[in-house]
Amino acid sequence: MDMQTDTAQTAPRPAIALRNVCFSYPGAPAPEEGTACVGNCAEALAGVTLTIAPGEHVCVLGANGSGKSTLIQLINGLLTPTEGTVEVLGQPVTNAHDAAAVRRRCAMVFQRPEDQMVTSIVADDVAFGPENLGVPAAEIADRVDRALAAVRMSAYAQADPTDLSGGQRQRVAIAGALAMEPEILLLDEPGAFLDDAGKQDVRRIIEDLRGQGITIVHVTHDMEDALAADRVVVLDRGLIARNGTPAEVFAEGGTLRHLGLELPFAAALAEELGRRSPVFAGLPHTADTEELARAVAERMHASPRQNAAPEQPGASPRNSAPATAGSPAAGSNATDAAAVRLSHVSFSYAADRPTRRRRGLIRRRDAAQAELPLALSDVSFAVPTGSLTALIGRTGAGKSTTVELVCALKYPLTGSVAVGGIDTADRARRRLLRAQIGYASQFPARQLFAETVFDDVAFGPRNLGLTEDEVRARVHDALALVGLEPAPALLARSPFTLSGGQQRSVALAGVLALKTPVLVLDEPMAGLDPRGQARMRVLIERLRAHGTTLLMVTHNMDDVAELADRVVVLEGGRVVANGTPREVFSSGAAPGTPAALALSRTLAAHGVRLPEYPLTGTDLARALIEEMDRGTSR
Amino acid sequence: MALRVSIGQYYTANSPLHRVDPRAKLVATIAFMVSCLMVQSPATLAVALIAVGAVAAASRVPAGRLLAQVRPLAIFLAVTSLINLFFIQTGNIVATLGPIALHAGGVEAAVLYTVRFFLLLVAGSLLMLTTTPVGLTDALAWLLGPLERLGVSAGETALIISIALGLVPALSQEARDIVAAQTARGADLEGKGPIAYARACAPLLVPLFTSALRHAENLGRAMEARCYTGPAGRTHYHELRFVVRRDAPFALLAAAYLVTLAALFALGI
Repeated sequence: MDMQTDTAQTAPRPAIALRNVCFSYPGAPAPEEGTACVGNCAEALAGVTLTIAPGEHVCVLGANGSGKSTLIQLINGLLTPTEGTVEVLGQPVTNAHDAAAVRRRCAMVFQRPEDQMVTSIVADDVAFGPENLGVPAAEIADRVDRALAAVRMSAYAQADPTDLSGGQRQRVAIAGALAMEPEILLLDEPGAFLDDAGKQDVRRIIEDLRGQGITIVHVTHDMEDALAADRVVVLDRGLIARNGTPAEVFAEGGTLRHLGLELPFAAALAEELGRRSPVFAGLPHTADTEELARAVAERMHASPRQNAAPEQPGASPRNSAPATAGSPAAGSNATDAAAVRLSHVSFSYAADRPTRRRRGLIRRRDAAQAELPLALSDVSFAVPTGSLTALIGRTGAGKSTTVELVCALKYPLTGSVAVGGIDTADRARRRLLRAQIGYASQFPARQLFAETVFDDVAFGPRNLGLTEDEVRARVHDALALVGLEPAPALLARSPFTLSGGQQRSVALAGVLALKTPVLVLDEPMAGLDPRGQARMRVLIERLRAHGTTLLMVTHNMDDVAELADRVVVLEGGRVVANGTPREVFSSGAAPGTPAALALSRTLAAHGVRLPEYPLTGTDLARALIEEMDRGTSR
Repeated sequence: MALRVSIGQYYTANSPLHRVDPRAKLVATIAFMVSCLMVQSPATLAVALIAVGAVAAASRVPAGRLLAQVRPLAIFLAVTSLINLFFIQTGNIVATLGPIALHAGGVEAAVLYTVRFFLLLVAGSLLMLTTTPVGLTDALAWLLGPLERLGVSAGETALIISIALGLVPALSQEARDIVAAQTARGADLEGKGPIAYARACAPLLVPLFTSALRHAENLGRAMEARCYTGPAGRTHYHELRFVVRRDAPFALLAAAYLVTLAALFALGI
């Protein structure tokens, strides 16, 4: 940066310059939206011109299939354009040789940390890049120390990455990029599969790096990431649709949804308020919650009543309703209303026995149980029939173990798990139990195996011993439920030739075809873009309408607030809260806060007190308008 | 279906043995393993036991952790020692259990072969526990170095081994997920003939194979992004250096052990 100051003060040489770049994958099918792009997704670019200045922090947004991943891979020469030019740090990237040179100064971090680790020791992994660059050993040691310090992972230098959480591993991957001392850092959705804490860690590191003048290009679906950037570039079907500061881009409001983006919470709320009430028309289309809260408060105070209002009944969240910890079926007295019931369940991986063993063997180990490290201890909760119960907790809290116990994939060390009244340890009724509960994993597409779509979806129903006619009916129903037309052409296709989004839908259909009364959804929204998430919400609503009992594992507090009837919070293998979303969120036991609740609290700090703190954006908008109407009518 | 993986389980500690040049450790371990062939008498067994005991003590690896490495093969050890005990019919009869007679030769073989094999395992485990995977691959690359003349790329081979080991945890996690998903869809792998079993495995093997390919592709891309272009021009974070003050005592002790053992063996003690 220092060398160009005297020559080109007015127009410094850009760090990255793309001119009319086109790219297409040979023989690729049409791009599909709605899923996580793992591996090479067919994303074409149709003429992109973009310059990024040194030290700039640019976020690239867009639906899946819009070309984001292609764009970022073109920048460091993992791909070369079919047309147009890419110039990085003054160097054109046209062939493999140039690309290798560019990559020495331009590091990249991918979505999935486990696919980036080359050794099983953190420090050695961070050293991999500098080793490839031919850095002398003494300097490598220095760089490794500095890079690990920059991501606050120094204490884990000798750890095995598989023992770390997803967030920590992604921090190691970033350290691996930083140790190469790049001038440009490219991030391809590093937070896509992380929990809130992990995403927050990545954001903090980016914030730290900006101060050091490194150019950052960050592909993301997360609006909170985008708000922190200097500039936002929105891609749509291979073209740049928007390009400006976050404030400029998000000021546009609802039209952004057509580009497959989700508005930041504050902007979406401002828009909804403006649409529903003239009093709130023209609120700033800001993404800054503080700014919005101030503006809303001004309007509210300007209305005649507000001064007389502070002593409203129930002006504080209902702390009086305690979130009952550990008591089975809190709030439900009809004991058989539970579709799933865990009673005083403990589990230890150290004592885990192959699932086919009988209970006697497990029982005998009870004496030794006190010394075993428990993954779950004394966990009791019930999932009421027909409800959507959210299971939340930090990474390592025991959510996955609980799911495996509920699906009868593991058996409790002590206590019991019953699904539809059948004890999971009851071998004689195993087949009956399997017909009770379905399981949709976090990456359903990974379970595809059959030669045709029909056979894959039919796998479960056939295992149930249904007739071919019934199987066919189930396959058709299930595909229709996930929004796929069960046409003969689709049914005869190999599932592996489908796009990522369709693969996911087919795999989900394979689970839904079992028509189980209970369904476990493991992180149904993780890694999906806003359109995919919207589609998933529709599916969840349809399942509820069918009366399916749902147990949903999630990291997203807004999904909990919006979708769940009940919430169970796990921490360190114990149930720390169990109740309605309102009870759990006001108790503070949840590992996060829904955006609407956070904004309500900010509003309260500005003197706008609502009778009951809303948990979703829609409820918050309604509450604010009602409050305003009540004020003006007095 | 717990896939327990205990390959290359490095134990983090700062012992004299951890610090020794990985090449010295690798060569010494191989030499020790070969020398076990000479352990054929109580005296040589005692020498070998003392040597392994001393190295284990110097490693500062807890005994429990060390034995845990050997445990998977405990049944194998027990079975071979029982076979030796009952089927070797040389020497005097030591005891009779009904129709079975235990001969002195059988007892000796049972003890000798079992302890010898046990020592072999412990030595191998000590190497794995005290040497980082990178150290091990670098040492292996050095050892395979002469093969470069035959057209084998030692550095690449070593890296491939290291990466393959690194992918094992990710793949075993994925195997668990796939088993979970298919079991929940009613896949049943029990009580079937070989063909039916193979067919029942397709729902597991096809997805597992697909994920292995996906991992390989993603990792390949990540390595390319981190400028890996082959072993040429690479430097090493942990440069392998034979430091006389640190490594010579180890090498001398190892040599002394081998000489003692060879002498005892030659004298027939």
